[in-house]
Amino acid sequence: MLAIDKKRLNELLRNMSRDFRVYAPYLENGTGKFAPYREDRELYLEMNTLLPPKDIFFPQTEKMYRFRTAGSALEIEEIEDKKEKQVIFGIRSCDAFSIDCLDKVFLSRGYEDAFYKNKRENTLLVGLACTAAGDTCFCRSMGLNPQEAVGVDLQVLDLGEEWGFEARTAAGEGLLARYRDLLRETDAAPIPTQEFKLKVDVEGVPEKLSRMFDHPMWEEISRKCLGCALCTYLCPTCHCFDVSGKVKGEEGYRFRCWDSCMFSEYTRMAGGHNPRPTKKERVRNRFMHKLCYFVERYGQLLCTGCGRCLAKCPVNMDITAVIRKIKEAEVE
Amino acid sequence: MNANPLVPIRGRIIKIVQETPDVKTFHVSTVDGEKPFAPKPGQLAMLSLPQTGEAMFSITSQGPNHLELAIKEVGQLTGALHQVEEGQECGIRGPYGNGFPLDYLKGKDLLFIGGGIGLAPVRSLINYCIEHRADFGKMHVVYGARSVADLVFKEDLFENWPKVENMEVYTTIDRPEEGWTGHVAFVPAYVEELAFKPMTTVTCGPPIMIKFVLQALARMGFNDADVITTLEMRMKCGIGKCGRCNIGSLYVCLDGPVFTLEQLKKLPPEY
Repeated sequence: MLAIDKKRLNELLRNMSRDFRVYAPYLENGTGKFAPYREDRELYLEMNTLLPPKDIFFPQTEKMYRFRTAGSALEIEEIEDKKEKQVIFGIRSCDAFSIDCLDKVFLSRGYEDAFYKNKRENTLLVGLACTAAGDTCFCRSMGLNPQEAVGVDLQVLDLGEEWGFEARTAAGEGLLARYRDLLRETDAAPIPTQEFKLKVDVEGVPEKLSRMFDHPMWEEISRKCLGCALCTYLCPTCHCFDVSGKVKGEEGYRFRCWDSCMFSEYTRMAGGHNPRPTKKERVRNRFMHKLCYFVERYGQLLCTGCGRCLAKCPVNMDITAVIRKIKEAEVE
Repeated sequence: MNANPLVPIRGRIIKIVQETPDVKTFHVSTVDGEKPFAPKPGQLAMLSLPQTGEAMFSITSQGPNHLELAIKEVGQLTGALHQVEEGQECGIRGPYGNGFPLDYLKGKDLLFIGGGIGLAPVRSLINYCIEHRADFGKMHVVYGARSVADLVFKEDLFENWPKVENMEVYTTIDRPEEGWTGHVAFVPAYVEELAFKPMTTVTCGPPIMIKFVLQALARMGFNDADVITTLEMRMKCGIGKCGRCNIGSLYVCLDGPVFTLEQLKKLPPEY
């Protein structure tokens, strides 16, 4: 396996940043997030980032087109996305699989989302194996391998003193070839991942949920939810968006921004009718979407076990506890 | 259509028809005077005044060079639309959704049931069936509104449609009114009173009307697979990405808005 001394990783990223726009995990004001590479800053590789990398493909707000009005006339001008080759370094297995989920949403089923596609097509993914499992991590329970990220071009393995590299695609081979002079062959073996403290059995849950829409459980589960939407903002797979506009005089632009199914306005129609009027319907929809509807539509769960929502929910809503409740629930 | 499905093309509102005190029909062309796109009956369009907003509307009819959208004033964008004059440019994108199952409907007798502004999407199908009259059997339209003033598409109801061969139009209003010699009843009651034999039915209207129409049709022995309706939901993208118009694992913008009662009974009742 090709490897680099851990102390020299920054050197590799520096070289890479001459050829690509490189995103890597950093701690910014105490918050772990993916940010553009900066030589003078220390990488944050101890744990996963609090903020998932989804905003690199699907920014929190994204301008779509400009317009200008003059009397009854209107001009529309699409805002071109810059096509920059980029690399995301250090994606964990949970977040790599979330990108696979987002690909299903934005690039399949009849329409391709041009804004997402442009960024996605120009991005190489470099996965980073986890050797430690965080207190709220449960990716293995969701069928993922913390050492082997789905869909990445290059997988980085922790060899102790070195980072090892294994290409998973031709583009990944290309990266290794390009920076070959910084790498050396090693016989060191990857450090295995610790035992997960958090485990949950999701077997049969999607099928069972399809018969649990009217179950009294949802009333109980939703009672403590504050509707703050933190879970949806931290979730690497949540992808719902709103479209809105900014107007200044006779010109302005239309943009999209992250939205959340936890908000009552989300489904409220102009006439006032709201198909999901209370927390019960909204919380139910969120869990049903992740654990049942998405499976029906795209054949995979919309939860990767990253554990962010349960780590940060102000009222300790815990999707693994919800899954256990579903397993235990009595269904007619 | 624009290569980017979320970016509208420039349209122009070439004609505005005041249907009722709060419903206007907007005829929309491209700025070059062409039809923005060719929708199937029952499909949808995203119409925008970018300064105000964008929303999904059913396309009620179309001509060689324009689309027609009948819009009730209920919110911000519809309020702004009701203020504009002919010649106003707008954004338009589409068509979206599945539309009515034309192949399935061919050769059948058809019953159309509408209430209020709910006749708008159904009208696209009625007009299609009239244009292809030989392809369909006997057609019946039952339509009602709160008052005479609230009846939409009066020219179709009282002039155009009754003249069509083998087509009956039954119009009703909720309460008696001076000068009205037609029927007075709520739509579901009128449908039962007319005692139709079971046939393929397309219905759209306010949720409460649909609820009672479906109950009436069930009592009359109509088959769930032959009862077709079209739903509305809040939508932002129209292409199955933004998330909000789901009913279970289906998206109304993509998999709907047209569903049979048989399909709806398999979905969560969340619409």
